[in-house]
Amino acid sequence: MATPLEGRTVVVTGSGRGIGREIALLAGRLGANVIVNDPGVNVDGTGGDQGPAGKVAKEIRDAGGKASANYDTVATPEGGEAMIKQAVDEFGRVDGVVHVAGILRDRMIFNMSEQEWDDVVAVHLTGFFNVSKPASVLMRQQRFGRIIGFSSGSGLNGNTGQANYGAAKAGIAGMARCLARDLGRYGVTANAIAPGANTRMTQTVPDAARQLRSRAGIQGQQRQPSIVNQLREPKYVAPMVCYLLTDQAWNINGKVFNVSGGQVSVSWEETPDRTIAKPGMWDIDELRALVPAMMQGLRNPAPPPPDLEVPGRAEAAASA
Amino acid sequence: MGALDGKVAVVTGAGRGIGRGIAMLFAREGARVVVNDPGVNVDGTGGDGGPAQQVVDEIKKAGGTAVANLETVATVAGGESMVKQAVDAYGRIDIVVNTAGILRDRMVFNMSQQEWDDVIAVHLKGHYNTIKPASVLMRQQRYGRIINFSSTSGIIGNTGQVNYGAAKAAIAGLTRVIARDLGRYGVTCNAIAPGAATRMTQTVPDSARQLRAQAGVQGAASESQPAPQSAFQGLREPEFVAPMVGFLCSDDAWDINGWVFNVSGGTVSVAHHPTPMRTVFTPGLWDLAELDDAVNNVLLRDLPNPAPPREDVEVPGRDTPAKPLA
Repeated sequence: MATPLEGRTVVVTGSGRGIGREIALLAGRLGANVIVNDPGVNVDGTGGDQGPAGKVAKEIRDAGGKASANYDTVATPEGGEAMIKQAVDEFGRVDGVVHVAGILRDRMIFNMSEQEWDDVVAVHLTGFFNVSKPASVLMRQQRFGRIIGFSSGSGLNGNTGQANYGAAKAGIAGMARCLARDLGRYGVTANAIAPGANTRMTQTVPDAARQLRSRAGIQGQQRQPSIVNQLREPKYVAPMVCYLLTDQAWNINGKVFNVSGGQVSVSWEETPDRTIAKPGMWDIDELRALVPAMMQGLRNPAPPPPDLEVPGRAEAAASA
Repeated sequence: MGALDGKVAVVTGAGRGIGRGIAMLFAREGARVVVNDPGVNVDGTGGDGGPAQQVVDEIKKAGGTAVANLETVATVAGGESMVKQAVDAYGRIDIVVNTAGILRDRMVFNMSQQEWDDVIAVHLKGHYNTIKPASVLMRQQRYGRIINFSSTSGIIGNTGQVNYGAAKAAIAGLTRVIARDLGRYGVTCNAIAPGAATRMTQTVPDSARQLRAQAGVQGAASESQPAPQSAFQGLREPEFVAPMVGFLCSDDAWDINGWVFNVSGGTVSVAHHPTPMRTVFTPGLWDLAELDDAVNNVLLRDLPNPAPPREDVEVPGRDTPAKPLA
């Protein structure tokens, strides 16, 4: 096997299990020195266990690679700095940061506690800042670096019961786009991955949210099972991430990729899709006449049920 | 008869700029308005009851109904106080518009934890802080309108704004989730990515402006999707953002839910959902050499690097041989 990551040092957060683990293992096989970060918490962020990270690091070393375990949390600046410092102390440099670590606290917005909001935003979004900030200082100095954040369809497309997670995940995509623009000129790239895979995290979506989604017709929007989306093991996400770490990917910057099974897509940027314009200020009556045409075919993802009295619905039906 | 007769609205950050334009238009359209603004500086420091009260006075002078609120959106207590004030003063809450925001621009390698935390607190947590208590009441009454404020800084990207860009992209994502959590209860949630000349757009540091210009970012949404350049772009007054917000809060917009709208001057666009644009597929595990070909020649064709490495940077793969993939 070729070793295109020989001499590179990569920090992979949340790599004790799931997608992070597969990235760490593949990066190790491709020749990288790997900091395997994982505090070994439960999916909701509670607890802690050095087993998972230690095991992955050992697996990499047993296969002839170079790896070291780190058990700090990404949710604090000290934790983020500790991982970067460990990479420099043990391997002399840091070339890549892959932020996979994440927790879930799913709840409908009207029931979501401040703690549930704060904990999820801290690990995912502020966690991305906590590792990429100290790494960016070194990467800028050495004029080389790769930063990869993990986004999600929950934020890019929207998903019931995940206001905290969806916001954080969309924020990570936005942050990758901004990091790309701050650091690109210094030979550093930043991109985001929106993965699809069966892992410990996808088992926790509460039944209530599943039911709501299916009632809202959201579940049915997913593609029918086919060879294209039967490949759900987390290992399928790793090659694209590791490719972005290679020298060849030097000019791939500021993009969001959907990776699931054998599928790799580049996402639309949220640029204007359809536009109406006038050389002056709109009034509401004009917008009432034109916006519905602009929105033709762009559905309400969760329309009110037929038995709910909705002001405006009867009028719309009458004029249709 | 106004489009918002009988409605009660909270508008955050309504003491100045875009928020002020929305509060004024809401009042003209018949809504009773809680005008929230702690009157801080653009960086979040200080505090002044003047701006919010002045907008309230203007609304009243024009025959409208409004009350000032000076709390911060950055705390749960602050968000609850605005919603409570709407209910105490006017008996209900129909509309929440989250315009409040601050800026602490800095290149990421120089950005302090405080600069990150403060911007995330006002923009992103600020949205949670108002939406959460309002959503409880809106769900019960089976009616509501929530308008969030995103920005092209996040949904497209901008130099020197990882904190603001992350928060603003997160708000677009939050909007899509809230739409799905609340749509079935007769509540809609949409976001605006505005363009306007306000106090906030005056603060972008010159160094960031220069970097953007060097990176070719200024003046184009992206090279493949150039922003329209025309006389329409001359209309930069913040009041131009208000009519679309007013329409989305009217009964007529009951079925518009979960979208991000770019609004600037007389231009209103619906933004692409960040869904897959182009896809490559292999029935198994990709190898890296195959990916190199597929990503560069299929996925990213005509999608340029927004900030390519400078000529004087020695880039492995460009200026020196890349380590082979196979």
